[in-house]
Amino acid sequence: MFDRLQFLFSEALTALRRNLLMTFAAISTVAISLFLIGGLGYVYYRVNQFSQTVPGMFDVRVYLRDGISRDEIRATASAIRSLPGVKESVWLPKDKMWERTRAENPQFADVPNPYPEAFKVTLSDLDAGPSVVQSIRAMPAVSTEANGVVYRSDEQRFVTQVLSIVRWVGSVAGGLLFVTAGLLIYNAIRLTILSRRLEIRIMRLVGASGFTVTVPFLIEGIVQGLLGGAVAAVLLWLSSNLVADFIGSHNALGHPPEFPLGTVTALLCCAGAAYGFLCSSLAARTPLRFR
Amino acid sequence: MAPPYISFERVEVKYTPLVYGVRGVTLAIQRGDFVFFVGKTGAGKSTLIKLLTREIKATSGRVLFGGLNLEDLPNRKTPGLRRMMGIVPQDFALLPRKRVWENVAYAMRAVGHPRREVLKRVPEILEQVSIGHRADAFPHELSGGEQQRVAIARALINSPSLLVADEPTGNLDPELSWEIMELLRSLNDRGTTVLVASHDMMVIHRMAKRIVTLDGGKIVGDSRPPTLQEALDV
Repeated sequence: MFDRLQFLFSEALTALRRNLLMTFAAISTVAISLFLIGGLGYVYYRVNQFSQTVPGMFDVRVYLRDGISRDEIRATASAIRSLPGVKESVWLPKDKMWERTRAENPQFADVPNPYPEAFKVTLSDLDAGPSVVQSIRAMPAVSTEANGVVYRSDEQRFVTQVLSIVRWVGSVAGGLLFVTAGLLIYNAIRLTILSRRLEIRIMRLVGASGFTVTVPFLIEGIVQGLLGGAVAAVLLWLSSNLVADFIGSHNALGHPPEFPLGTVTALLCCAGAAYGFLCSSLAARTPLRFR
Repeated sequence: MAPPYISFERVEVKYTPLVYGVRGVTLAIQRGDFVFFVGKTGAGKSTLIKLLTREIKATSGRVLFGGLNLEDLPNRKTPGLRRMMGIVPQDFALLPRKRVWENVAYAMRAVGHPRREVLKRVPEILEQVSIGHRADAFPHELSGGEQQRVAIARALINSPSLLVADEPTGNLDPELSWEIMELLRSLNDRGTTVLVASHDMMVIHRMAKRIVTLDGGKIVGDSRPPTLQEALDV
């Protein structure tokens, strides 16, 4: 058994060595496409998760007009809650807020309460932020002043843009490169078959099984995909560190979670190997005819 | 009389509607026979060989080998069939970057012989075809005859009871051709059935073996050498 495996792997290794440039092209293209698809997919997931988990970062503050009644407050609260993209809406009573401020700042003891009635609105969908803000502004109980509704629209726009870019670059460029990588693996295996036609012919002359003839090509494809996945994991780890530094430099955004190098490497290697296997088995399906 | 070892029964091979490989060939070959298939290019010699090695299938008729109907044999069993025979190609098909012994060892490894067995058997096989003294040479360092000996050695790795050779002397001069034929004769003397497609008439007649002549895909002659009794009678 070990003898058999040794023969099959040595055949695959010979093939990899013989087409070194083609092998390099296949590995690097698999790496880049997996980096774009898997890697940017991971970044997208993390940025999205991060933007939703940072407490209060994308909360909307809504200030109401002076002298508003309890019924109007209740009606406004339920109108806000019914808006699509709103997770929750919490009433911040002006008396309680002022009480807290005075407790923290005793020097304000004689100052009359300047706070209006307000709501803290938490979003479930960041993309819905601008439309939610627009709808709230149109509500009759909401203050018509410029700061009647306070929302960090710049940060929200930034995060939405990042997510959009990541999504597009990942799906379009990654998809194209993924197909290219597949074609390169296919071509590399076809070239190997061509360059090893004499060995294949001899194998068939002496009655080697189809398994023995085909398996080295499958191993070759798997190795190319596997190495591509490993390189993609390293690229991803490096770029994730860069993104982490970038996010860290924007104090308001806090710090992203640690990069799970082991899991990502395992996932990308498995994806690469599976893709390599698929492409090489397609390439080896039409073997050269035995003369 | 024992049933034939190999038989072709009304075999027809049609490559295209107008091009025939063989037409209505019926032929019986006994175990231990030495048979030459002769004829012009396109006469159907190689087609008969290819039917046996299952590179092609008959359009109609039956090809039997050791009682096995090759037309009913599933494709996955073709490698097993080829392990029962040794195939010698005209162009030697040697790996140029491997030494003589490595060429034979490679073929043995490809059919699953363990390394220990390969190390034991390769020198024996090389001796069998008298090329053991050149075991460490590369193919380009060998003469045509020596290269063909290596190709024959490789065909013997599975200890086959049948050896088929398609124009084995096609690339050799008369002297080397005779050497190869002598080698095939010695293998035949040890019990191996040998089928050779060739048009080297001088060597063929000198060998004094059975000759099946083909023309236009049909058998037009089947002559056997005289037996000892027949010769004595003459």
